[in-house]
Amino acid sequence: MNLSDVVQNFASGMSIGCTYGLIGLGVVFLWQSIERINFANISSAMLSAYLFYTFYSNLKLGFVFSFVFSIALLALYGLALRYLIYEPINRRGGARMEFIVATLMMCTLWLTLIIVIYGGLPKPFPPVFGSSVDLVEIWGIRLPKFYFYIFAVVILLMAFLQFLLGKTLVGKFFRATAQNATAAQLMGININFSRSLAFMLSTTIVGIAGILLAPVYFVSLDLGGGSIGVKGFASAVMGGLIDPYGTLLGGLVLGMLENFSTLFISSTYRDVISFCTLVTAILIKPSGIFNWAGDKDK
Amino acid sequence: MKLSRKFIIILGIVLLLIYPLIETKDFRIFLTNRALLHAILVSGLVFLTGFAGQISLGQAGFYAIGAYGTALLTTRLGLPIPVGIIGGTLLSLVAGLILSVPSFTLKAFFLSLVTISFGQVVWIIIINAIPLTGGPGGLFGIPQFHIGDYFFGNKAYYYVFLAILCISILLMYRIKHSYIGRSMFAINDDEIAAESCGISSKKAKVFAFGFSSSLAGLAGALYAHFAGFLSPEPFAFGESANFVAMAVIGGLKHMSGGIIGGVTLTFLPELLKFKGWETYYLLVTSLIAILFVVLLPEGLGPNLSKLLDKIFGSRKDMTQTLHHIRKGSNR
Repeated sequence: MNLSDVVQNFASGMSIGCTYGLIGLGVVFLWQSIERINFANISSAMLSAYLFYTFYSNLKLGFVFSFVFSIALLALYGLALRYLIYEPINRRGGARMEFIVATLMMCTLWLTLIIVIYGGLPKPFPPVFGSSVDLVEIWGIRLPKFYFYIFAVVILLMAFLQFLLGKTLVGKFFRATAQNATAAQLMGININFSRSLAFMLSTTIVGIAGILLAPVYFVSLDLGGGSIGVKGFASAVMGGLIDPYGTLLGGLVLGMLENFSTLFISSTYRDVISFCTLVTAILIKPSGIFNWAGDKDK
Repeated sequence: MKLSRKFIIILGIVLLLIYPLIETKDFRIFLTNRALLHAILVSGLVFLTGFAGQISLGQAGFYAIGAYGTALLTTRLGLPIPVGIIGGTLLSLVAGLILSVPSFTLKAFFLSLVTISFGQVVWIIIINAIPLTGGPGGLFGIPQFHIGDYFFGNKAYYYVFLAILCISILLMYRIKHSYIGRSMFAINDDEIAAESCGISSKKAKVFAFGFSSSLAGLAGALYAHFAGFLSPEPFAFGESANFVAMAVIGGLKHMSGGIIGGVTLTFLPELLKFKGWETYYLLVTSLIAILFVVLLPEGLGPNLSKLLDKIFGSRKDMTQTLHHIRKGSNR
């Protein structure tokens, strides 16, 4: 137990936590817009990782094209989710429970589809971020290179989202719809478009998180499994399902807790700790521990 | 017309009773037994979700507590089987009562997260506490039901499970039409209004969680003795999701929802196992489940009973007229 162990765990907790935060953002955007939770949220991560793998390793399209294509396909998937699942259930008078069950079944559907197409074994992630043994040495402390890529991508993405939602007219429409859909409609805002945007944002952001997580978990079924998904939910809950920055912070805290509990306690019950964090976060303050955006009008 | 409805019901009962005697393949009876166990569990879930309006995505956790409870009580402590089953059910009931506490303040989504966490923690404990539960290797040598020297086969288990299912459905029916059931429906419709009429929402929620968790524990305990060994797979999160899917597909607001959903989703994957297409059956099962939810959000149960009403003429009893009046006033 020395300083370099602590720094290494700190860095890995930060970088993994960032991706948990991104997964949580997917939950937050959808909740703000339609007040539904997509339990197949994490499937987007798995799908994008597998799509990226196919484009990059099998079709050899190069990094930029593979990335753009897989994210574009995920945006389409978000739209499909809206028009094939959400809208039909709503039209037939289904409520939250039906949406939850439909998305849970979607989760199984994607898992089995991936097993049918790619088989159950994990695929090696193409070394676009450097391989996992590619280390960078700073002041005698060795850190894997892809941590820095994760930080870079997350910061870029947050800057982009800040610009999109804060500065553009589309973002204003989106935020107005999230605050009060009826009033936004009365002001002549096309809430239909905002909803589609929410679905697309939620799937693409989780998709990017999936590509970032792939060097850690490989391109495997773990990416679509429940445990990472629950961590995303946990970070979203810490942000009160409203505050994007709170969600990111929640993800960071969760990543840290997880890494340091592995260091100090044991790795067997690592998932138990994240579940306990989730439950305590819910029980202490259901409106979000890191929620500075305030309560939404219900 | 009334006669033919009665005739159909009697025919159904007779068919249910003689089914194991005319069935030749033992595997089908085994499958039916699992379907009956699922029906018991999902009925509890329908009670919790459809009647009281509380979501639980951790039903497999209760199932596991019941199963491992009776298994440990009978194998490690050598207690008789009925004591083991009652013990497992009681353990599960206690877990359900504890889990009902968060439901006092939490709404739908948060409650589902808490119950998911509960189910996952139970699962992780089963996997990792190897000295106690056997871990992924499983727990063997759970005693079978027996009377004297006669050990129960699949057929005998069928009658036991059918009887227990009937008792639990009868119990559910009686509770639904008692003041407890009515208070649950009131809370489901509007909690604040119900509270202001003097209904204790806490009491109703504790009762609903207790009832559904003890049914799940009972089903788990029966499963342990029926299967003879336990491995962690039937208690994973996927199964909890499956149970909720059964409840929704069967119909959340309908008495028969648990039975129809449990039986349908237990048999569906087996029906789809065509030769040469084995890799696809799970895919098609989840696809069909999604289609059911998207196209028939209110579930199979109410639609089937509407269909029966169309064929045999509707029963004009009090509850149905009341239902129509309520439906009309809502619009």
